[in-house]
Formats: sequence, C-alpha cells, structure tokens
Amino acid sequence: MDEKCNQLWQKLSAALKPQVSPDTFKRWFSAVELVGVTDKTLSFRVPNNIYQYWIESNHMAALQAAVLTALGEPRGIKFISSESPVEEIEAISLARQTESGRETKPASGSSLGLNPRNTFESFVIGPNNEIAHAASLAVAQSPARTYNPLFIYGGVGLGKTHLMQAIGQYVLAKKKNVKVIYLSSELFINEFIDAIQHNNLVKFRKRYRQTDLLCIDDIQFLGGKERSQEEFFHTFNTLFDGHKQIVLSSDRPASEIANLEHRLVSRFEWGLTAELQPPAIETRLAILRKKARGMQIKLPDETFEFLANRIRSNVRRLEGALMRVASFASLSGKQLTGEVIEHLLKDILQEEARTSITIEQIQRRVAEHFDVRLADMTSKRRPASIAFPRQVAMYLARELTKSSLNEIGDAFGGRDHGTVLHACKTVKKRMKEQDNIRQTISFIDSSLQR
Amino acid sequence: MKFSVTKEKLLEGLQQVQNVVSTRTTLPILSNVLLQATDGEVHLTTTDLDVGVRGSFEAEVEKEGATTLPARRLFNIVRELPSSEIQIDVDGKNAASIRSGQSFFKILGLPEEEFPPLPKFEDAKVVTIRQKDLRDGLRKTSYAISSDETRYVLNGLLFSMKENKLTLVATDGRRLAMVDIELEIPRSQEADIIVPTKAVTELQRLLTDDGDVKVSVSSGQIAFDLNKTLLVSKLIEGNYPNYKQVIPAEAKERVTLERETFLNSLRRVSLLASEKSNSIKLSFAKNNIDITANTPEVGEAKESLPVQYKGRDFSIAFNPEFLMAPLRNLTEDEVFLDLIDEMSPGVLKIQTPFLYVLMPMRISS
Repeated sequence: MDEKCNQLWQKLSAALKPQVSPDTFKRWFSAVELVGVTDKTLSFRVPNNIYQYWIESNHMAALQAAVLTALGEPRGIKFISSESPVEEIEAISLARQTESGRETKPASGSSLGLNPRNTFESFVIGPNNEIAHAASLAVAQSPARTYNPLFIYGGVGLGKTHLMQAIGQYVLAKKKNVKVIYLSSELFINEFIDAIQHNNLVKFRKRYRQTDLLCIDDIQFLGGKERSQEEFFHTFNTLFDGHKQIVLSSDRPASEIANLEHRLVSRFEWGLTAELQPPAIETRLAILRKKARGMQIKLPDETFEFLANRIRSNVRRLEGALMRVASFASLSGKQLTGEVIEHLLKDILQEEARTSITIEQIQRRVAEHFDVRLADMTSKRRPASIAFPRQVAMYLARELTKSSLNEIGDAFGGRDHGTVLHACKTVKKRMKEQDNIRQTISFIDSSLQR
Repeated sequence: MKFSVTKEKLLEGLQQVQNVVSTRTTLPILSNVLLQATDGEVHLTTTDLDVGVRGSFEAEVEKEGATTLPARRLFNIVRELPSSEIQIDVDGKNAASIRSGQSFFKILGLPEEEFPPLPKFEDAKVVTIRQKDLRDGLRKTSYAISSDETRYVLNGLLFSMKENKLTLVATDGRRLAMVDIELEIPRSQEADIIVPTKAVTELQRLLTDDGDVKVSVSSGQIAFDLNKTLLVSKLIEGNYPNYKQVIPAEAKERVTLERETFLNSLRRVSLLASEKSNSIKLSFAKNNIDITANTPEVGEAKESLPVQYKGRDFSIAFNPEFLMAPLRNLTEDEVFLDLIDEMSPGVLKIQTPFLYVLMPMRISS
C-alpha cells in the first residue's frame, strides 16, 4: 500500500508542479503525504490544520486537476491532520464529495420522505449534470449562503429528485436541530386546501415558514393554481428574507411553466438555475456499473455496453432495463446474447428509437427503398416517381420525429408547411385505400425503428 | 429598588450592554438586563451565555436592590421618553414603574436570582494593555475573521501573548491579517487563546482611546476589564492553525502606495468587476500600475496610478473586496505591497508591525 501511495504521489506531484508556483509547491505540498487510496477517496496527511485550510481555499482546483491527470478520473479528497488525529475534518471539495458515514440518521431522513439511497455518493456525475451536482453540494454544505433559491430542472428520470433528497439528507446529517421539509408541490397544494377547509392556515404557515431548508419537487404543478401560488409566494419571501435555503425542481425552465405568475417566475430565476441533461454514453455506462454493483449482479461488459448504447434518454428507464435483464439472466439462466436482450427489451428499445430518429435517416431509408437518389428528396423536380416517395418521407418525418411542419418543409428543400401538410394527408388517404402502400410504409416505419 | 437618573446616562448605559442580549427565546431571562442599584450607582449586566457585558451609570439611588427587565423593551421606552428626568421604581414582584414628565410605564421583569452570574476569574493570567493599542489592533485584523462555521477555530481572533508581545491574527483561508503589539508579559502569564467574533465586535465598541484594559484569561474564559465596563466571553476551544506557514518569505518586488489614493482607485474600478469572477487586475510597469476590471457583456474599467516602481513588468489579480478591506481599516498614509510573482500571495505592510497576506486569483487569458 505504502509503495502504491508513494508512486501515486509522485505522479500527482508531477501533474501538480506546473499548475502552482514553485514557492507554493514547496511551502504547501512538499509536507503533504498521501496515506490512503480507495476507489472513491484519496486521503492526505498534513502536518497541521493550516495546510488543510489553505489548500482547500486556494489550491483545490489545481489538486483536483492533478488527480484527474494522474488517475484519469476525479476522486474525493480528504485531509487528515496529524496534529489532531481525533477530529479528522472532512475536506470540503466543491467539486466532489465522497465519504462514508453520511447516512447516520436514516430514520429522520426517511420520516421526511427522503429515500436513504438518494445521496450524493450514489449520484453518478457526468458532464450532463456536473453543474447541478456541484450547485446542490454547495447548497448542502452551506445552506442559504451560496445559491438561494436553487432551481433544478430537467427531463424525466434524470436525477432531480435524487439531488434534492441528497441535499436534504446531507443537511440533516451534518447539523443537529435543523428543520428540513421535503415534499412535492402536489402535497403542498393538498395541505394548503386542507388547511383552508379546516381553517387552520396559521398552523400551515407556521410549518412552512419556520423551516431551515424547504425542498419542493415538481414545482410545475403549481401552474394554474392561483391561491396556492399566492401562498407559496409569501412562504418563499418569508424564507428568503430569513436567509433560509429553498430548493425547487421542475421538468422545464421556470419561464416555461404555464400559468405561473410572473413574480414567482422571476423569483425562481433569482438564485441559480441548473439544468440536468440526458447522460452521455460514458456516464450511462458508469451508472449501469454502479447500479449493478449496488444490486450485486454480474453481467458481461457487452451487456452493459449494449444497454448504454441503446437507451439514451432517461436514467430511470436505463435502470429498469438493467433490472429486467438481470432478473431474466438469473431466472432463466440463459446466455445473454444481443438477440435475447433485444427481444427482452423490445418495447423499451422501440420507445427509445422513436425519440432518436432524424429526418435525414428517414429520407435516406425512403430513398433507398423506392430506389431514388437522396438528392431527389430535396430537389424541385416532381415527377410522380419522385414526388410520392418524398411525400412518404414527409409523412414519416411527421409521425416519427417531433419536428414542426416548417422544420420538415425546410429539411425537404425549403418547402412550405402547407406542402408538408398536403403530403401527410395524401399519404394517409392512399394508405387507407391501397393495402400495398400501407404495407410498404409500415415496413419502412418498422425498419426505421429497429 | 428605586432610583432617578437622567435620560442620557441611562441610554448610554443601556447602549453599552444591549447588543449582547440574546435573541434566543428558549431562556427568557437572557433577553433581560440585570439592574443592580447600590450607593450612587446602577450596574447593568447582559449575557447570552457566551458573551457577557457589565456596565454602570451614576444615579440617585433612594432604595438599593436588584431586578431584571426586558432589555430591548426598556431601551425602546427610554429612548422615547419626553423628559430628561427619569424615575424607576421596582416593587417586590419585579414590576418596574417608569415615570418621566407626563409619561408612566409599567413593565414586568423577572427575579434577580434567575439571572445567570458572570463567571469568576480565579488563578487567571493577567495582562494589561493600553486601550488605544488594542482597539487599533482589533481594527486592523478583525475583518479577516472567517465566518465559515465548519472551520470553527477560525471563527475568532487569535490572541497570542508571548515573548513580550501580543500578536493578533485572523484568517479565513484566503487571506490573513496580523498585528504585533509590544507589551511586557511575564513568562508565567503567556497564553495562546482564540476570542470569538461576537466578543471581538463588542469589545471594539467598548474600547476608547484613553486608559488601560486588564485582560484576564482562565480556563476557557476571558475577561476584558475596561475600568467602568467589563466584557466576559467564552473562548473557542482548539488550537489555532500554524499561521506562520502562510507568510511568504522574501518578496521580489515592493511598491509604495498612498493608501487613500489606491483605495479610491480600487473602489472605482471594482464597480465593473464581475460578480462571478470578482477579480481586479493590477498590471505593473515602470513607475505605473494599471488597475483594470472587466465583465463580459457589461463593460470594463481602467485606471492608471503613477507609483515608484522599478521592477519587472507583470500582472496579478486579486479579489477587490479582500484587497480593499485592510486599506479601509488602516489609518496610515503609506502602505507597501510586496509581491513575488503572479501566482504567489501578495503581502501588504505598513511602517508598524502589521501584515496582510492575500492570495492572488488566477488570471484567465
């Protein structure tokens, strides 16, 4: 172990030296010792606290960059001061925090509706969610000091709830006697209605306005509920003025939530808005591996790659697919080949394919099928042998992609949206009238979705 | 208990102690002020269990005694009273009648016995400092105290009393301020202690330009006796980090700057430092510094400052707030800025033993 640490430290030093001045390196890093390496965390021993404070405040970025260069991936960084072995103060590294013993009070967390599995440690970080994760961690470490409110948005199953619950649990575990409330906006509305009915609004207000951290999930459901919005507006102001942290999540940016009052929209945009995007292939692989490890299942690498390759849009779906494949493997004991998995996940894959078809793919496929040139799809020529395939392609583009009529028209050589609409109508009509046309089109359709 | 006093004296007395009054509602007695009337004098005491202050004012005491009254409320009443003569009469049930001109108030207090006593100082180490020196030292350092609660040993000011000097140190991890005050300290009275921010702030309010302050340190406690007023505080437990490590060795370049001119320039240019990067750039050339700041999509600012400088040309960036803080709190006309290179910390000095270490910020592009 010592040998390994030494070697790693040599590598780290080499990566670090060009980033800091020679004086800084001599002064701060020459006395640092690498004492522990796990797959999550690097532990450094420093002579006394000042090393930790100063390195954390000033040289953390350089150190993390060096770790990335030397190891090829980020790790958590922890300092142990040899002066005070009792209180091993954790490194506050903004970018990544990994450490055990965080879930000391699962009972208090779960009673609030926080899932103990949703912690920062179990969150897989990639370029798609880096900012949201860093912001959440900063908020959790010093509530109401950094970004208030924190507004997280992103599509279904990308980790909004996970991050919010992680913030809640982190704050709960770190400080005693903090009041944390986590709930969905729907629950907030229901409780509000209940409070009006039973005439105990004061109690309701007290509950929400005297909390240190308020997390509201799926805030978009407030849209169109005027009284609830008003109540929430006042709650928001009270908390904000009292320097209490507010964290909100939504499936779309605040400005796009329908029927949400402007004063709320502007308040939501006040602090930090962080977007969660669908993960890239590497991140998807990492998520699958982490999940599989958590569920203690072993699958061949090809399976992971297959799943990560084919399921792109949504983490929850990715996990569902993994679960399905894993249970199939353990129940049937069959070899997992590409075909077996494909069959197993037919519906999921189809759903996925639908989202990722481009107009260009459609044009190419249709041109191939009708044996016309791809250029004919966009050209001005319109003999029947070209015009009909073009109409079919337009129809499929309309059905399989989310593009508007105008966009489709543009993709077909700058045609009018009326032209596209006409094409769709014509194709539909002919599909009804002629069986062979319907068959042809459904064949192209299914071949596109495979 | 019964006494009469002028409005000014009572207000002044209350002002000295009322900042400490606890806002915690768990212990109602802590939001009260203890009044003790003795021969020709009334003592006032407040505490939040961490910091306690004791002051006094002269009064015509008719009947001696003691009680506690809600401090904020008493202060608000006294401030509004119409006449300058005030008479306060407290009955056996701790209800105080306040008469002044045509006004009459009655407020309810709590018994004296419930008020937590200030700690006793036995076997304490004692050092005497001139109030002016201590006030000056606190002013030059206290702004650099960290407010990051996770680093609690930094949430206070280090009083290092040894080798015949008192060294005050504050740091928040990105900057460090330090002052030495020469003082006779017997070997037996040497100590290293950390005084919490709240006590430092209160002490700064109480210190004056005349007289001495007697500092007593016993285990976990410190008392500042300013003759008429007394401030007692708990100390922060733990060891202050070895701050000497932070101070750079030899500087390569030194510039002498007129403090106010430099501060004013910084203040103007910092108006266009972006909130995000929040940095201000100093570019050194022969006998000139260019101070610049720019925020993409907002604009930029630049100011030239003629100085005595013969070193090499280079640029260094600082957080403008951190650079201005010491300049605001110093009183000297001239300051020296010592630099090594663009990545090493800058050091601000004056003629007397003071230094301020500030980490530079990375210059992008």
